Order: sequence, then C-alpha cells, then structure tokens
Amino acid sequence: MSQEPSDKRNIPALDADGLSRRSFLRTSAVFTTGLAAIAAGLAPLRNLKDFTSMEQFVQKYYKELTPEDMEKVLKRIENEVEQQYGIRPHVRDLKPMNGVEFVYCLNLTRCIGCRKCVHACVAENNQSRNPEIQYIRVLQMTNGSFDMEKAVHDYDPAEVPQKGHFYMPVQCQQCHNPPCVKVCPVHATWQETDGITVIDYDWCIGCRYCEAACPYWARRFNFTKPAIPKDRLNPNMAYLGNRPRKQGVMEKCHFCIQRTRAGRYPACVEVCPAGTRKFGNILDPNSEVSYILKNKRVFIQLKEELGTSPRFFYYFDV
Amino acid sequence: MKPPTKTSVILLVLMGVFLALAAGFSLNLWGRPASRPDIPLVDPAFISTDTVRTSYAELAAQKGDLSDFDCYGCHEKGKPPILRFDANQNLIIPKEHSDIVMKHGSHNRNNLCFNCHNETNLEVLQTRDGRELKFSESTQLCGSCHGPTYRDWGAGAHGRTSGYWNRDMGEITRKDCVSCHNPHSPKFPGRKPAPPPHPLRPLDKPKLEAKE
Repeated sequence: MSQEPSDKRNIPALDADGLSRRSFLRTSAVFTTGLAAIAAGLAPLRNLKDFTSMEQFVQKYYKELTPEDMEKVLKRIENEVEQQYGIRPHVRDLKPMNGVEFVYCLNLTRCIGCRKCVHACVAENNQSRNPEIQYIRVLQMTNGSFDMEKAVHDYDPAEVPQKGHFYMPVQCQQCHNPPCVKVCPVHATWQETDGITVIDYDWCIGCRYCEAACPYWARRFNFTKPAIPKDRLNPNMAYLGNRPRKQGVMEKCHFCIQRTRAGRYPACVEVCPAGTRKFGNILDPNSEVSYILKNKRVFIQLKEELGTSPRFFYYFDV
Repeated sequence: MKPPTKTSVILLVLMGVFLALAAGFSLNLWGRPASRPDIPLVDPAFISTDTVRTSYAELAAQKGDLSDFDCYGCHEKGKPPILRFDANQNLIIPKEHSDIVMKHGSHNRNNLCFNCHNETNLEVLQTRDGRELKFSESTQLCGSCHGPTYRDWGAGAHGRTSGYWNRDMGEITRKDCVSCHNPHSPKFPGRKPAPPPHPLRPLDKPKLEAKE
C-alpha cells in the first residue's frame, strides 16, 4: 500500500496544515491495518452469539427470580431449545415438596454391572453423546476387596457378571455436607430442602472447583458444546435438571429432578433389570428406602470417613 | 534516492504481519476444533425398561401367545405324567420340554416337577402345604419357600419398581418373581454389558485389570 516514492523530486509540497501526501498515506495505511488487525483479533467473539443471549446475560440469580421472571426464563429456554433442536420442550421449574427427603439405596448383591442405568441416565438427562458425559460410573471390583484404586470401569466382556467380581455403580451421592457446594465461588450450586444438590447452569462460571472438591468424581464439565442428536432429545425438562447445557458449565446427577419432583422414580431405577436400585422418601416410614435402612444390611455410605454423609446407601441382601 | 529509513521498514514488515494475521483469523484457520472420533449411539435396547422375561400374568394381559400354558393340548387329563431319572438321579427332560433347563436349587434337591406343578391338574400350581394356585398367582408359590425374599419383595426392597414413588401422585408398578426369574432356572441370567465410556483417543496403556 504505502510505497516509497522513487523520485525525490516528486515529494509534494506541504499543504496549509503541514500534512504531506506521503505522510497522510502512510499514517492512514498503518491506521487501517491496525484496525483490521484488531477486528480480526476479536473475530472469535462472533462465536459467542451461540454461547449466550442478552436475556440470559442479564438474568438474575435463581433464588432471586420472581415467579413472573421465572416464567420468562422458561419461555426463553423453550425458545432456545426449539431453535436449536427443532423440538418444543416442556421446561418446568419444579420446587421441592414439603416433608420429602430423597434417599437412594443400591443393592450390591444384585448389581450385575450391565450399565443400563448409565445409558438410561444419558437418554433421560440430555447428556452430551460426543464427547460422552455420563453421570454414573460402574466399577468392577474383585470379590473380597474394597480397593477402589484397583476397580475397573472400562470392562467390556461378552457377558456380565464376571465370576469373582462385584459391581458398584457410583454417581452423585447427594451429600448432607457437600464439599462441592462449599467451594463454589458464585453459589451456582446448592442443596435443596429435599436433599438434591442442584446446579444453576446459567449461573455457573465453569471454574471446576466443585469437580476438584467432589470425592466421588460425580461432577462433569462441558468442555465442548454438548452434542445431542435431535431425535434423542428428551423434551420433558426442568430448569435445575436436564435442560440442555452450554459449553463451559458443570453438570451432575440430580436424581432426575424432572421426574422425582413430579412423583416418579428416576430413570436409572426404572431401567435396572436386576431391581438393584431403590429410591424414595426417607421421611415416609412406609417407603421402601425406610424399610431397607431399617431392616437390610446397609454397610456403607461411600467414603464415610470424609464426613460428607451421603444420601446414597449401598446395602447387601442376607 | 533516499534509502528507506529503519522506521518505515519496520512499519512495512509489521503491516505485512498484521495483514497475514487478519486474513488468517477471518478465514478461521485456527478456530476449528480438533475433530473427534465418531461415537456410535447406544443401542436403544440398553435403554429399554422391559424386564428380562414376560410372566404369565403379563402375557394374559397383553393377550399374548399362551399356548405354552395349554398343558392339555398334549397331556392327557387325569393321567399324571411319569418322571424319568438317570443313574445320578438327574431328571430326564422329555424332548417336548427341551427348552426347560432344570437348575432350581443346587445339588438336585429341587428337580422334581411336582414340587411346584400339580400332578393331577397341570394347569395349576401347588405349594408344599397343598394350596392350589393359578399360574398368575405364582409369587405366592415362590414365597412359600423363599420367605425372606418374599418379605423384602412385599416391602419393595427386592425386585423391580417403576412408576411413582409418591403414591398420592400415581401408581407404583411391581413385577412378579417370574418377570425376571425363570422358575425352572431362577438364577438371574448374565447379559452383554452396554458399551463402556468412550476414551475419545486410543488408550496409551493396557487396560488395568483388577488384581487378585
């Protein structure tokens, strides 16, 4: 653009303001280039339009939202999901019920390690299929030991259960004393009165402190935009539950909040072919979980010594 | 001709660099995420909530094929079938019933058909204390021997539950014993596990095997 003139005699005379043609050209060329460079450097911001909308950016904290605000937020989420997946979902903000505290019991004698719960959970909760995000990890353990360091989670034999092994599915333990909630710098995760520790995906900043704090490896981070095939989207959604997440936020098991707060069993309970998984209200003395805690050999809360006091109990028959 | 000054050379070079960068950014040369391997979607069979078997009661409710339970299509009424045993006191299963595997209990202690079936009326079941039960009432027959399990099942601690945990909001569905257990060979069958988590890139170390 700005070329050095070849002939000295062609230097134009200074105009009234003392600006020569050459210096004008040079300055403007440098200026334009700089401007272009800045614009190009900011180019990645173009991708932000899929990342967040203005309504979401100015949205208030979950606990400060009035019912009218919440209605607008749910409409916005429904619109966004419809735009993205072509399916109009039904997004609700279900509140905890009075006199309900959820407890989960899992029968280690019965689990055969078939991983159906893992995939039922993925389908129910709209988790990313690529890369895979799974809330449940099934550990294959050797009989007679309880060494999780030696547990295998990528076993793939032709048939389970394998002789000499037992299987222990691990997911969010919904602790009474959750370390993940304590470390969150923005209070984007908290414990509800029914015992479910929830995440506000619109408030999470993706610092992953909670992931580091969780002793059960229950929290998952969306490193990329979740990939969910349109025909596998579950349209029954909850704000604190299975609505599609964005890139850069945490997620985890929430006891299928969109089902359990509507009175139904979680997806993993429904799908378990061996009847291993039990779920219910511990404050109801007639619930199956009350019966199990009263009568069965409930032997651990996982990593009991950490004082997290999980609401997830492993028990044995006999 | 005046040689170009140092400043103008640097400016020229910088301009070139910025223009190249600008072109690179606007063509999005670096912005493309690394491509990931395709992960096949899981077989919907792994998400199915069906039980491993279908009980008589379910078959009857679905108006399914009940020909397996039509005993007197082949057997003769009022003539108890004769059981044959080999030298080791193992029951010889006639070829008409070759789909049955007798593995109820260990050490052949329970290899007699008429421990559960009624000899004189094959279309009903019979407990050890002589109660006659229809095929659809088989849980009581199971419970007549498996007391603690029957008690757990009654309380909801054994077996499949589906539907509503909150009984005020909907029904809970319980399954019969024979929806999951084959009465002739009740041990829960093994099955192919659903695929393990995809590692996205090849594992650089051999799979850890649980050590003894």
